Amino acid sequence: MKCEEIKPYLMAYLDGEIEHEKKLEIEKHLTECENCRKEYQSFVKLKEVTDKMKLADLSDQLWAGYWKGIYRRIERGAGWMFLSIGAIILLAFGAYQFFKEFLADPNISLIIKVGVSTLSLGIIILLVSIIRERLFLFKTSRYREVER
Amino acid sequence: MKNNYLRESSSALNRFKTEVYINKRKEMDEDQELIIQSKKGKMKAFQKLVEKYKRTAFFIALGLVGNRDDAYDLSQEAFIRVYTGMGKFNPRYKFFSWFYAILSNLCKNHLRSRQVKENYLKNRGADADANNREKTPLAPDVMLEKDEMSKRLWEEIQKLPYEFKEIIILKHFQGFPYKRISEMLNIPMGTVMSRLYYARKKLKENLKDILN
Repeated sequence: MKCEEIKPYLMAYLDGEIEHEKKLEIEKHLTECENCRKEYQSFVKLKEVTDKMKLADLSDQLWAGYWKGIYRRIERGAGWMFLSIGAIILLAFGAYQFFKEFLADPNISLIIKVGVSTLSLGIIILLVSIIRERLFLFKTSRYREVER
Repeated sequence: MKNNYLRESSSALNRFKTEVYINKRKEMDEDQELIIQSKKGKMKAFQKLVEKYKRTAFFIALGLVGNRDDAYDLSQEAFIRVYTGMGKFNPRYKFFSWFYAILSNLCKNHLRSRQVKENYLKNRGADADANNREKTPLAPDVMLEKDEMSKRLWEEIQKLPYEFKEIIILKHFQGFPYKRISEMLNIPMGTVMSRLYYARKKLKENLKDILN
């Protein structure tokens, strides 16, 4: 086995995750090749250092609140979703009723009906366009989390 | 005599392999059951899933973003995304691999935003250090041992490119076997080994003044 081929297997050898046959091949190579042996030893040293390093745990209080935090956020998300759906349904129904009565009213002249209808249509298109642009900007803006 | 010894060793190895397989199966089945129950709206089942993986999730996030507050939030956010996106989960795959993909994406985006924020503040000539003191990856409360070597090691791990940092965290701090890392990162075993080789090599080079 050449040095370049053996290098990734040095990791498996170091971590004890190597098959028996490969292990013998690597051991043989390490006895023959000084460069690889030196490199392997330096990896052993690094592993010793990293194994010593331990990360501090969180306090019991924080762990106790972990699930509560998740539950609260899921609950709020669901609350906002239902609130938004309800508001959209009511607004759409209100608009529908208004236009139905307004357009069906024979006392209002046609020109006013056409004017109000096109004005409303324009406002709706502009609103949708602005919302879509804002959403797109929010999703793609690289600076969206920058506090100004 | 030698043959008997070989036969015994081989049967012991087979027994061990079977045990490992059964335990893995058990873990998968348990996770799948919890997900099925969670999908039905049973919060207790989802809570069990969270309790089972919360520490692993937190410590992986901590390794990736280097800050305890952010790691806490991001790991919680990953569980919330799991809950809201549960319908997308394919039960043929391992839960934790799917969960890890979500967590890793969140951490990656978080680091990207942090970088953009730092660059933005630097460009404005503001004191980036003052604004990010809370977010520094060198936050002293992260490590149990506060010796110089650990501090330096943590600092160098945080400076590694994301792919290298990720594999170091999964192998060194979580102690996951190669097979599991390969499933989690969705890469072949050979890539796990070579990526780990280059990651350790880079880390070793950066630490050469204290390793020698």
